Amino acid sequence: MVVVSVRSWVANEGGKHFVLMLWLGANIWLFMKTFLLYSTGKQYHYLYKMLGLGLCISRASASVLNLNCSLVLLPMCRSLLTFVRGTHTVSSRKTRRLLDKSKTFHVACGVAICIFSVVHVSAHLVNVVNFSMSYSDDFPALNLARYRGEDPKLIILTTIPGVTGVLLVLILFLMFTSSSYCVRVSNYEIFWYTHNLFIVFYIILMVHMVGGALKYQTNLEAHPPGCLRANQSSTEQHGEELGQNEDEERRCREEAHFQPHCPQTWLWVSGPLCLYCAERLYRYIRSSNPVTIVTVIRHPCDVIELRMLKKNFKARPGQYIVLNCPGVSSFENHPFTLTTCPTEIKATFGVHLRVVGDWTERFTQLLLPESRLDMEILPMVQQRRYPNLYVDGPFGSPSEEVFNYDVSLCVAGGIGVTPFACVLHALLDGWTGFRLQRLYFVWVCRELQSFYWFAELLCAVHHKLWQENRPDYFNLKLYVSQPDSLQCMSEERYRPLTSRLLVGRPKWKLLFDEIAKTNKHKKVGVFCCGPKGISSTLHRLCNSARSSGTTFEFNKESFS
Amino acid sequence: MGKIEWAMWANEQALASGLIYLTGGIVGVAGQFRGWQFAAFAVAAGVFVCLLEYPRSKRAKGTSVERTGQYCFSVVVKSFGPLTRNYYVRAFILAALCVPGGFMLATVLGCVCLGISSIIYLVAAIRGEHWEPILPRKETKTKDTGSMIRPPQNPPPRPPPDMHRKRVEDLGGAAYDNAIDVTADE
Repeated sequence: MVVVSVRSWVANEGGKHFVLMLWLGANIWLFMKTFLLYSTGKQYHYLYKMLGLGLCISRASASVLNLNCSLVLLPMCRSLLTFVRGTHTVSSRKTRRLLDKSKTFHVACGVAICIFSVVHVSAHLVNVVNFSMSYSDDFPALNLARYRGEDPKLIILTTIPGVTGVLLVLILFLMFTSSSYCVRVSNYEIFWYTHNLFIVFYIILMVHMVGGALKYQTNLEAHPPGCLRANQSSTEQHGEELGQNEDEERRCREEAHFQPHCPQTWLWVSGPLCLYCAERLYRYIRSSNPVTIVTVIRHPCDVIELRMLKKNFKARPGQYIVLNCPGVSSFENHPFTLTTCPTEIKATFGVHLRVVGDWTERFTQLLLPESRLDMEILPMVQQRRYPNLYVDGPFGSPSEEVFNYDVSLCVAGGIGVTPFACVLHALLDGWTGFRLQRLYFVWVCRELQSFYWFAELLCAVHHKLWQENRPDYFNLKLYVSQPDSLQCMSEERYRPLTSRLLVGRPKWKLLFDEIAKTNKHKKVGVFCCGPKGISSTLHRLCNSARSSGTTFEFNKESFS
Repeated sequence: MGKIEWAMWANEQALASGLIYLTGGIVGVAGQFRGWQFAAFAVAAGVFVCLLEYPRSKRAKGTSVERTGQYCFSVVVKSFGPLTRNYYVRAFILAALCVPGGFMLATVLGCVCLGISSIIYLVAAIRGEHWEPILPRKETKTKDTGSMIRPPQNPPPRPPPDMHRKRVEDLGGAAYDNAIDVTADE
């Protein structure tokens, strides 16, 4: 039993943890290498004597900061990641699964930046105090202070590294405090606008080292560190009797020359920064054509379906788009999963959006000004004045992998069914050519009315597969979790749904056992798009032991 | 677009600043640097700010997420009444507490961060926000009987609840016709 559980865990979590170990290893190696360079390197001998450990710690943390500042931008290049996801020749399924965790990697790098900034700032504060107190009369070129005992605060505020350092810390502080989960969920705009200060952060970061506060010695052969100066003799230092000849050998041939480092940060950071800026530019250009709104349909339980048309728009099932409506708010962008993708036959694509929050309310009011309760479909000739709408995307998501497993289990909670609706549409259009042999579909809703959003689609898929003699391809289970009042779905054409409708919450363990028994020794892809409670239960079940040799691989869709 | 709740962001900032202030103060006192009295003040002020800012306010619209174990802090902060409810007072307190930190190197960062939080609280106060404690809701949820809710009260045949009134008059029509085919829960 234990062996199988380890296998499940490795299949699910192994890739992520491997990348995490690599990243940690790179950070630790860089830290140790720079630390040792500054503590044992001959060219830093005099500087080390003046500043001590503070020098090594500050430079080591600076190099780790360089690495993380460059890595933090890469997971946010969404179009690039979508492209990598789409090219199956370049990446395997394991690599694509790692791409699901790109936001987590971004957060990890961000946290590392904050932690090492604290270390860096503390070490440099100690350095500044040492620059002031251990003012070196022997090597005046090394000093940052102008005189012995200069107030450290003055040193900070009158040098470029000091001033830029203070600004960087302030920006980092603002960015960090506004990216907590609480603020993101309640006021996304605050998070978005403060996070966009990153460009100021990077510009200041690249000039942070200008001015050369730390210098290294350039003439090591002529002046080996620790050699005797012209006015010293070895007896002063060692108190032993040494011959005059040895004194001469160890005498410095010339004074020590010092030179500041060139700023190195731009080497690390400019590549990813250019890549990210190119990505933003590309997304801006791509989304600059407004889309044509074709249909707006109102569904029960506060859901609006929107069908649109855009030139050269291609999408795969499971991807999502970001909507921007200047009539509602010029700067807000909201992600929505596609529920229909454009095909050769039909060029429109659609989203279902649930009206919860200011933006969606106002958007719905603009689309359907009069409160009509029924469907509203006008032929394109008589198109009403819809607001201007811009679409950015499509972007990749974990749900694209549904077709790449032999068996897939899709669990949807409420409006989380949208990525799978697109999958079902793809099945309806033509299910050959996929690797998928069997699809389990579990949809949990609070109210029975919610099932009407896709009742037609589900029945159509069911009928089509039944006609084509594949009755076990599509296994549907619908759950109504809060049957407070008795509702009924009495239409005859929705018979396949009502006969698969269960009251109450699903029993996940039993479901997993049933799937495992009927699919022995297979890899089942579990896709969850719903509330945290369901996804954590499913994640735990995927990692647990299974006696029939089935492995469940967990893929979670999330937006916040 | 939409009402931004500045107080929530100010709260996160103030808590982080309090911690930074406290850390800077500890370093200043431990190293016995010049002006360590300011650092000692910073320690006390940092602790006070953390205690004051730990309980999150209830949001005006939407669900509020509590911090772990914040209930007792919430009760204490609530008991100060208008002093803690009003954000003008809070902004002023933070501004006053941050000033001594500016005189010592170790606490300068905490001072600036607290100052920024004070400004954001001022903005929140101008927009008319105030602090509300998050109190536990009276638990009115039904007992968790698994997936079966409201087991039937009467023996079969069981008409639906709204047909109770008709049952007495119309005994003939009491035969129950199930509207939904409900399958047994496995």
